[in-house]
Amino acid sequence: MSNARIAKSCKPDFLQIDNEIKNIAKKKEVVIMPSSEAWESLEWTKQYFKSKPKGGYFIWVKEQVDFPLSTCINIASGNIEQDLQNLMIVEKGIKAKANVLCASLKNNLSGTHKARGRLILKEGSSLQYNHVHKWGEKDNVMPDYEFILEKGSSLVYNYTNFFPPKNLEIKNKIICLDNSYSQLNFSVNGINSKIDINEEVVLEGKDSQNVSRLRLVGRKNSIINAYSSIIAKNKSKGHIECNSLMVDKESKIVSIPKLDCESRDAQLTHEASIGKVSEEQLNYLRSRGLTEKEAIDLVITGFLKI
Amino acid sequence: MKLLQIKNLTIEVEGKKILNGLDLEIKSEEIHALLGPNASGKSTLAKVIMGFPPYKVLDGNILFKGKDIKKDKIEDRAKKGIALAFQNPPAVSGITLSQLLNKMSKKEEGIINEDIINRDLNVNLSGGEKKISELMQVFALKPKLLILDEIDSGLDIKKRQEMFKLISEIVKKNKMSVLIITHQGEILEYLKPDVINVIIDGKIMCQSNDSKKVLETIKKYGYVKCKNCKKL
Repeated sequence: MSNARIAKSCKPDFLQIDNEIKNIAKKKEVVIMPSSEAWESLEWTKQYFKSKPKGGYFIWVKEQVDFPLSTCINIASGNIEQDLQNLMIVEKGIKAKANVLCASLKNNLSGTHKARGRLILKEGSSLQYNHVHKWGEKDNVMPDYEFILEKGSSLVYNYTNFFPPKNLEIKNKIICLDNSYSQLNFSVNGINSKIDINEEVVLEGKDSQNVSRLRLVGRKNSIINAYSSIIAKNKSKGHIECNSLMVDKESKIVSIPKLDCESRDAQLTHEASIGKVSEEQLNYLRSRGLTEKEAIDLVITGFLKI
Repeated sequence: MKLLQIKNLTIEVEGKKILNGLDLEIKSEEIHALLGPNASGKSTLAKVIMGFPPYKVLDGNILFKGKDIKKDKIEDRAKKGIALAFQNPPAVSGITLSQLLNKMSKKEEGIINEDIINRDLNVNLSGGEKKISELMQVFALKPKLLILDEIDSGLDIKKRQEMFKLISEIVKKNKMSVLIITHQGEILEYLKPDVINVIIDGKIMCQSNDSKKVLETIKKYGYVKCKNCKKL
């Protein structure tokens, strides 16, 4: 599906195109407003913003919702610079799901998308955050997200980027307090891209847990640097799994899983692999009539599925 | 009509000759069986017909419908009508059989197994399930020449017999030619080959229309007697 068709088909609760907010849904259970408005009208939100926001959303899930929340932030014009601050707060005991799309509507817009996000999961809450990126080949994209998981909360963060920009710098920090659980599933398909991923999970609280899974593909001269670390400060469990696939000879992948243990009672593990597409798999699929390119695409699709 | 003609085929892998002046001819709607001891070149022949690397053709020709296919890519051979059911198909994680069939733009023919179709391709499948998956794929291609590489291994008697009946029905209905590579003779009772071939040291050493007699001979004397067979 093309980027433009995705935007048309998407009816999000929050829609921003370039630097203009086009739609904000009214929901009984959820407060949705521009971040700039939250800064002005809700004094307490200022502690979560770095400075007065220029763009982005504020979503406050106050009551239980039985529908997925959705946001859509697009670049539609050439040479646009977005500087967003997104804040999402899920109140105590609430279970929520958010589908979040950030995309360029055309392939050659040379846009810049800077997004600083903070997501606060209050005690006993849970959030499934499905974050999809779909960019043009000349865009520069810099998301910097921090998740704070309060006592007993849980987060499943699925990030997929099958259409990467020219430059992608992702920073994620997850702070897990007592008995909280986070699961990160990252799938990035590098196509002629420079990609830097910096992911840090801090197991701050007792009996907190994290599982991070990264699937990276390097195609067409891509350079990918992926740093994934877990810092255990208390009795906790953490696991990192970084698997990468090199499709061409010109790409380069650096994958560094790091375990930093400050507690004797913590249990941290990691596994990492970088390999090429299996010739046996390709020949097998080609014997079913698929071209070499179709076979590679299919193997990659399967690899990126977590 | 001659569908497949292999003439004086000599194949080398890493400096070692695997097929050594092999001749084989399969006509339209003809069923051939290929028997031979371990490492005699049976599976190599199947992969060479399909065009798999790294086999290096030193000599000879492979003609399909009268045209040399030696330089054809794997996918081109598949599109021309050659299909191979693998003895040990590789697992492809994250892709279901259904997705592959969609990508092939083919619908399964005759065999539909709802359980397998939505599972990852050859991942954690039993031996029997892998065979069913292979048959669903190759029959979906509606090939002119179907190569079955040890399709009867790893199955219990009941499943084997059910599968053989089904293969027989689909092959007849679609007027396929078949090359059956087998260790066991049981499949031949259902598919009733027109010609039985015995391969030894990369060469067809015996060819006969009397499969029963050949099987009995192999059972009684092993492949030693086939080596000296004068039927060719």
